[in-house]
Amino acid sequence: MEMQVSDIDQVTKVALSGRLDSAGASQIEMRFTAVIVPKGQPAIVDLSEVSFLASLGVRLIISTARALLGKGRKLALYGANPTVMEIIETTALHEIVLVAGSEGEAIGMVKA
Amino acid sequence: MDAVEDGQRHLPPFFERCNIGAAASNRVEVIFEEIVSNAVRHGFEANSGQTMHVWVSARPQAVELRFEDDGVPFNPVERAAPSPFQSLETAPLGGLGIDLVKKLAASMRYERLPGAPYSASAPGQAFAPSNHLIVTVSTLR
Repeated sequence: MEMQVSDIDQVTKVALSGRLDSAGASQIEMRFTAVIVPKGQPAIVDLSEVSFLASLGVRLIISTARALLGKGRKLALYGANPTVMEIIETTALHEIVLVAGSEGEAIGMVKA
Repeated sequence: MDAVEDGQRHLPPFFERCNIGAAASNRVEVIFEEIVSNAVRHGFEANSGQTMHVWVSARPQAVELRFEDDGVPFNPVERAAPSPFQSLETAPLGGLGIDLVKKLAASMRYERLPGAPYSASAPGQAFAPSNHLIVTVSTLR
């Protein structure tokens, strides 16, 4: 699991690449949280290069989004492929974490 | 977690050979990941030599996964589902994996089989009590 971090107009963008399974989630867990939460600014997570999502990946997203919400900021996901989206919907992650259809929509959601 | 990756690399060739579609293939992979990683994290004692065997086979309109392990007794079928998400602040973090398996599977069946002691008919072999879990995934959707 690879991770690229950038800033778009005071929104933290994290682009993930690879499998967000138990190994992938463990691999990036500390850095993922560290690049998003301490900054205390809105964040978007690009899932377009994520090929696989399992429960530990879902858990990482929830815990990070929750921690960011504690600083009064939102996190949004976008770019999920159909199989990743099925996991997002089956776990009901989309009911508690913002899910957008594009980067622009995600930025709008987290800045609102 | 090497065990999870070791097993998972056998799945794509199986999917291709049996012409399993992308959606069903992903569900099978997720179920494999969740059950095996759960057993490794919670069902096995460190340095115990405990093992899990997994068989994946194509059935009419379904894929069947059969998991057998000699770890601690664990019946995922009877495991209570986590509380539904009410909010981001209160969403439970535990139990998501087994609940995900139940929602993706067409069916799940579990039994705990008793062990067998050493016997003259099978010298040098003893069988520990084991968990047997059979999960099917529909290939229709």
